[in-house]
Amino acid sequence: MSKVLLEVEDLHTFFFTRRGVVKAVDGISFYVREGETFGLVGESACGKTVTALSILRLLPEPAGRIVAGKVVFDGTNLLELDKKEMRAYRGREISMILQDPMTSLNPVYSIGDQIAEAVRMRHDLPDNMVEPEVISALRLLKIPSPETILGEYPFQMSGGMRQRVVGAIAMSCRPRLLIADEPTTALDATIQAQYLALFKDVQKKTNISIIFITHDFGVVANMCHRVGVMYAGKIVETATTSELFKAPKHPYTVAMMDSVPRLDHKDKRLYSIKGQPPSLMNLPPGCRFYPRCSVATDVCRKREPHQVEISDGHSVSCWRVQ
Amino acid sequence: MADVLLEGCDLTKHYPIKKGFLQRTVGWVRAVDGISFTIERGKTLSLVGESGAGKTTTAKAVLLQEKLTSGSILFEGRDLRKFSRSQLAREYRPSLGSVQQNPWSSMNPRMRVRDIVAEPLVVNTKKSKGQIRSRVVELLEQVGLRADHVDQYPHEFSGGQRQRIAVARALALNPSLVILDEPVSALDVSIRAQIMNLLKDLQTKSNLSYLVIAHNLATVRYMSHTVAIMYLGQIVEYGGAEELFKRPLHPYTKALISASLLRLPEDEEKGRKQIILSGEMPSPLNPPPGCRFHTRCTEAASTCSQEAPPLRKVGANHYVACLRF
Repeated sequence: MSKVLLEVEDLHTFFFTRRGVVKAVDGISFYVREGETFGLVGESACGKTVTALSILRLLPEPAGRIVAGKVVFDGTNLLELDKKEMRAYRGREISMILQDPMTSLNPVYSIGDQIAEAVRMRHDLPDNMVEPEVISALRLLKIPSPETILGEYPFQMSGGMRQRVVGAIAMSCRPRLLIADEPTTALDATIQAQYLALFKDVQKKTNISIIFITHDFGVVANMCHRVGVMYAGKIVETATTSELFKAPKHPYTVAMMDSVPRLDHKDKRLYSIKGQPPSLMNLPPGCRFYPRCSVATDVCRKREPHQVEISDGHSVSCWRVQ
Repeated sequence: MADVLLEGCDLTKHYPIKKGFLQRTVGWVRAVDGISFTIERGKTLSLVGESGAGKTTTAKAVLLQEKLTSGSILFEGRDLRKFSRSQLAREYRPSLGSVQQNPWSSMNPRMRVRDIVAEPLVVNTKKSKGQIRSRVVELLEQVGLRADHVDQYPHEFSGGQRQRIAVARALALNPSLVILDEPVSALDVSIRAQIMNLLKDLQTKSNLSYLVIAHNLATVRYMSHTVAIMYLGQIVEYGGAEELFKRPLHPYTKALISASLLRLPEDEEKGRKQIILSGEMPSPLNPPPGCRFHTRCTEAASTCSQEAPPLRKVGANHYVACLRF
């Protein structure tokens, strides 16, 4: 088994607003091994993106603050670094792909310039070495005829190609960890399939670790080795992908899987989870899922469940499995 | 014989591209290029395809928001081109309802729920204020909201609740056909099932017909009776949902299904292949000759680039446009 590259321990990230404290991430722990893809899956506002931003320390300060926890990257706790030291990690060691390529690319700079900017910042390269680096990044992402694309602008490209350019920027500094935040949500089905296959290929070539953030269980199944299911700021279940799909244990995971229509058979009637996720400013006491849970008992309402490892690598936070 | 509510015959919509000082037309975007379909009473037809396939243009043509370049729409057997303006306003438009994709942009943030849902009634009927008020409450209860929600504003609701308000507004005039343009794709996963089940319940209760536009195949399979797979302005496969998903014939349909199937790590180890199409959908400005899909098709032969395949009948209710059948 390859070694652990990133370990997040008991991370708490809160937003301090005039109306109260928003507990966006409230004590989550997970790790990512070298060459592994770890999926963070959950609905909007469950804390997936805030987790990613906390790892890179890019939270909108002063409202957002990491209150407690550790983010250990290859032996170094990133939360103890000063600003300058931290900057050395961003892009060079850990990079990120955002959901919408239309907003993460600059419309007035050419593709070549935007990738070169990243390349220049990371390696102290002589000018004549920059372009070959840019082209090799474009090649890695299988962008056709990279030499001609250098002078093009984002508006001249399709959504799928733009997202590949974003991928090329992220990969241009040869990071060891890539955080991909819903990278395929804005893409069409066949283009999404292309993009996911491409990233598996990039991972094989570079042995990069990936944290894949998504709300789509189908993408998780396709891409990830292990998965953490998030709900209202907590990871409620962690398991390998096959284990999670074969034997989901947390009622939320089970309900999510039952509420998504399947393509391979006709569903009679979808299970629908009642209610909606709680406000992160005003969380219910006890288990966060109990107001929507169909198997909740008295203890769920009163006390918060701990995470329990039920088999190798499969942990669940639910009173029913303890 | 099936009870046909609305029929589209050979619908075509080309948008001109104008350039220069004189705004001369220099080309045409073939957004929809000769498609036909039927919507039965109480049933759902889904248009499936990627962006740029012409799904929304088709829906807009049915809603009369776009004027067709050619082709005709038959409503209850009558050609809409023979309707006068006032006939359209009195007889056709009130039988349609529409729900848009994004419940954050489809409602005026400065209107209260009561006014949002009442608007179609105010515009199209001569009901008194009291009648309208009780109809609004009735509609809200139908979609799972409460009477005391009427005085609130859209921002006070979650996405799922807003989509319920949009459905209530669409149902205000007791339409026979509701156009649902990506009705759940902007919603959270756990909320989607609630809205899909609501829409299905309403369909059974009021014998509604739906024209659904969607790109998520699993959603389509759950919602539809009939499915039309669109590619670059044309229908490439058309048929009953069960038949089409069990026995997809067109290479594009197969690729779409393959891209959307749940795929676990062990599938890879077992060597179950996923069909991954190369390239992207060509521009509708200049569609490829012959079969429009041949540039990306995994099974294309040399004749595919020369001859455009017609939509051919291959089963009781199953049509496919591919030269191999």
